[in-house]
Amino acid sequence: MEKNKFMSILNSLFNRTLTVVLFFSVSACSVAPWERGNLAKREMLITPDQSYTSLRSHVFDSKEASSGGTGALGGGCGCN
Amino acid sequence: MLSLLPTMSTKMRKLLLLLLLTFFYPSVKALGVNDLAISCPATLELEKIPLDLQKYRGKVIYLDFWATWCPPCKKSMPFQNALRNELHEQGFEVIAINVDEDSEDARKLLQEYPVDYLIAMDPSGQCPKQYGVMAMPSVYFIDRQGIIRFIHLGFRKRDEKEIRNHVMELLAENGEK
Repeated sequence: MEKNKFMSILNSLFNRTLTVVLFFSVSACSVAPWERGNLAKREMLITPDQSYTSLRSHVFDSKEASSGGTGALGGGCGCN
Repeated sequence: MLSLLPTMSTKMRKLLLLLLLTFFYPSVKALGVNDLAISCPATLELEKIPLDLQKYRGKVIYLDFWATWCPPCKKSMPFQNALRNELHEQGFEVIAINVDEDSEDARKLLQEYPVDYLIAMDPSGQCPKQYGVMAMPSVYFIDRQGIIRFIHLGFRKRDEKEIRNHVMELLAENGEK
């Protein structure tokens, strides 16, 4: 009886692990080179409208009385 | 995990096997150099018939995979067209398989920039899958016997010489190898 209970716990644990593994395996699907049509669309860009983005950053810079610091390069130390 | 194997039910073992197969079994063997070029489910745009590569046996085929959303693909079009028109008489043919999900995008582009070579549509993406396309555009150079001899990935202006050399090399072969 004890053995049966142990087996049932083991089975249930295994099923749960399997479900989690399956879930994560599906979430890591790759996109083939010929399937990148949707990713190449304009609306998929981080900044889809360049002129609108530059206008927004101009307004932001004016209000903050400072500019820059939005990129990844340079830490403001003048060494780059 | 392996120590659990003897305690598992048959159903669980089958599930585990299925999972392992899904991860490790290659779904389709991609075609490569020295493989026979096979036909794939694409439709020729002009004739509206399935593309049959067997029909072009005896010709040197430049099989191009392209899409409208791919700038280098569009850049290669005038070069491909000029090359095709220059060497067509010598038994050279360009077949460009469009892989746009919406073939209408390709039709619009071709109306604006017409080409003389053959266009085939494959919105399902089965052809690039069969050929194991690694980049866009990809060109498969098929010799007169129907064997893939070279594969060229991408397109830049400086690639033109190399592409031409591949075509000239295949055209120089007499087809009785």
